[in-house]
Amino acid sequence: MTTARKLAEPVRGEVDSDGLLLSADPLLMRLHLRCGGTEGRPLAVPELAALCRLSRRLGMNLSRPVQASDDDCRIEMWVETRLSVPDRDQPLSLSIIDWKEYSHDDSDMPDPARDRDFDRLEGRGTIRTDAALRIIAQQMPGKPARNVEVIGQSLLDIYDVIPPSAHTRLLEAVAERQPIRNQRMREKIGAQQLFVMQGHPLIDKTGLFAGYRFTAAQDDPEAGVDRTMTGEKLISDSLFGLQLGPALRQPLGKIIANAETISSKLEGPLRGDYASYAKDIASAGRHLLDLVNDLSDLEAIERPDFTVAGDDIDLIDLAHRAAGLLAVKAADHQIRLELPDQQRKLPARGEFRRSLQILVNLIGNAIRYSPDGSVIRLSVSGDQDFAGISVSDQGAGIAKEDQERIFEKFERLGRSGDGGSGLGLFISRRLARAMGGSLTVESAADQGSTFTLSLPARETP
Amino acid sequence: MDRTQQNDIVRRASAMADKASSVADDFAQLLFPRTDVTFNDRMRSNARQYLRGVVNQIEQRICQIATRDLGVAHELLLSIEKDGESQSFALLEPSGLLNKPEIVQHLFVRAQQSELAARLLQKISQEDLESTLTRHLDHADPAVAEAAMGLLVAQSKTTGAAGEGAISLADLPPEIVYAIVWPVSAALARLSGSPGMRLQQAAERLLAEHDESASVVRKAERLAQLLEQGETDSNPHPMKDGLTLFVARLARQCGLTSDQIVTFTAEPDMARLIIVLRAADYSVQEAQSIYIALDSGENILTAATYGELDRDRAVALVSRWAAPDAFQNADRILARSYLGDDRQ
Repeated sequence: MTTARKLAEPVRGEVDSDGLLLSADPLLMRLHLRCGGTEGRPLAVPELAALCRLSRRLGMNLSRPVQASDDDCRIEMWVETRLSVPDRDQPLSLSIIDWKEYSHDDSDMPDPARDRDFDRLEGRGTIRTDAALRIIAQQMPGKPARNVEVIGQSLLDIYDVIPPSAHTRLLEAVAERQPIRNQRMREKIGAQQLFVMQGHPLIDKTGLFAGYRFTAAQDDPEAGVDRTMTGEKLISDSLFGLQLGPALRQPLGKIIANAETISSKLEGPLRGDYASYAKDIASAGRHLLDLVNDLSDLEAIERPDFTVAGDDIDLIDLAHRAAGLLAVKAADHQIRLELPDQQRKLPARGEFRRSLQILVNLIGNAIRYSPDGSVIRLSVSGDQDFAGISVSDQGAGIAKEDQERIFEKFERLGRSGDGGSGLGLFISRRLARAMGGSLTVESAADQGSTFTLSLPARETP
Repeated sequence: MDRTQQNDIVRRASAMADKASSVADDFAQLLFPRTDVTFNDRMRSNARQYLRGVVNQIEQRICQIATRDLGVAHELLLSIEKDGESQSFALLEPSGLLNKPEIVQHLFVRAQQSELAARLLQKISQEDLESTLTRHLDHADPAVAEAAMGLLVAQSKTTGAAGEGAISLADLPPEIVYAIVWPVSAALARLSGSPGMRLQQAAERLLAEHDESASVVRKAERLAQLLEQGETDSNPHPMKDGLTLFVARLARQCGLTSDQIVTFTAEPDMARLIIVLRAADYSVQEAQSIYIALDSGENILTAATYGELDRDRAVALVSRWAAPDAFQNADRILARSYLGDDRQ
């Protein structure tokens, strides 16, 4: 959270020859008080006070950048001092013409909502516990969003720890605030589904252990590494998504997680170039995982029994979520994402996760094929029957004869090496149609492209 | 030989006798320099001319205030005010009063800026260099556009292009004006025999009317601050931003001062500048391009050399250079007490 630097009027103050703050506009007075000062006492903002002293010592008007910090934020200012002439004993005037605050919380703090969107996009669930492993919040795949029955209960009362691990080992890890990796757990009641959990210890602002955030992926007990141990055939004809996909995801997930741990130096210092190699490994792993996901999706949507859920969704909310997921990627290319007003609503019917997946694919493509520094615009449209959201870029555009081809399987229009699999648009269109909607493109060479996702409109209650 | 010449020789002989012990010191400095920085003749000449010009302007301004505003009617002061011919420099130069560390450091930075500007002009035309700032005039943020306009106006007021060694009192840092004003007013009082009090008042008025916010350096620093606070489109580059803004933006990115960045460019192989670029995570291409723009053409920065620099180490070094001078000096002195301390 930062405040704008543009001040309608400069922030003013007066400091006497002894350094006492005689008067100050509210913004400056608030900073003075937060820095430990009191009204009518010496100016308590160190760098500002030093500037006043220098200005008096030299007998000159100064104009300099000044930084200050209080408990909540760091403030960057541009300050001008004015001495009164000829009587130097008169108060010195301070005029602060720029003022920008940076919240201490801004610094690379993870955004829980964004993390949750990533998990939902990947079909993962999340569980948040307190320090005593009591469940505070839970969102599991295929379960109601607000499963109030489990809230407040111990994680170990709801889930069984599956060997080879055991309760004691899990508790030891919790006691030592260690990350928990690939812990298989089964629901004790209900469908008794099996999940693979990854747990990250949470530390609050005061540095105290505050519990765990688990991500949970559904586990197929019949698939996975164990079967290779028995020598059983891993691939049964075309069941990529059910068998090979999960079997590949697990080791890939480990590679990515470990490479990210290494590159972020969480386990200790490391030479810069090695950290960079680890980053490359993580990036290549993610690319491979994307490909596995695409192939799984491809296999899934081509199954005759493929269905999608009919969730009540809001396309504007989805647009903001998708843009949030890709904000870092866009920033890497200095691309600005222009979004519809978040206060508005565009109700539609479609599966939440699949609709998000389509938008992420469209925005991701737009970022990939747009020039650095350009703008990607998301706009909405709708009528009685359909609600539409369009993603417009300023890229090279698509020739008319190619506009249908890009929706074909593995069609890359001759491009390579940009991280795409050629399946994204094919899958997205099939998903849109499965939800009763459509995915279309309008474009011309050198004019940019506009992809529009239309889904059945939903009346607001 | 007439009597005047004889007197002159006597005066010079006496003066030389007083300074004889310093001859060996001067020669030792030439023979055994304490740094690897080379000062070419052009830099020395520029620095000397610049110092003389600064003293002249301050002297003339003091005389203007004294004669016009304070009503001092002294022949010498009126003549300086009218003709601008400096009298005090000859008195101050041998006195050592201009040989203060802050003044000399400022002269060095100005001389090096002139060097860099000259090198830059071999790679980009004066016209293109001057047009670099106009791209910020249409900036979406009005504060940035306004600051860019302020910098353009400040630069245009400076005689000649930025970095050409042009002298403008408005562009002098307040600390330097302060360090020079008082010796000049004392010299004028001595030379003219006029009351020191009036000249002191004139000096005080000169100091009070100096407006640091009008200087090119501060205008550039403010624009740099606004640009870096907002969504910058790219890293600074001397050929895209012009020298002054490039230095200000890079300094701000790294928590250093503009003077430090300029000083780094004078050092052998611009080693510290390379470390600064690495610490700020500039790509190999960006670093090489900046290096070529600022270098005299004798050295090259290879991708391998730059790529092998450990960024963490570079960040640690830059963070040490960003510490207050007093801390760095104390740290250096203390480090000498410990054998095996290899810090740089």
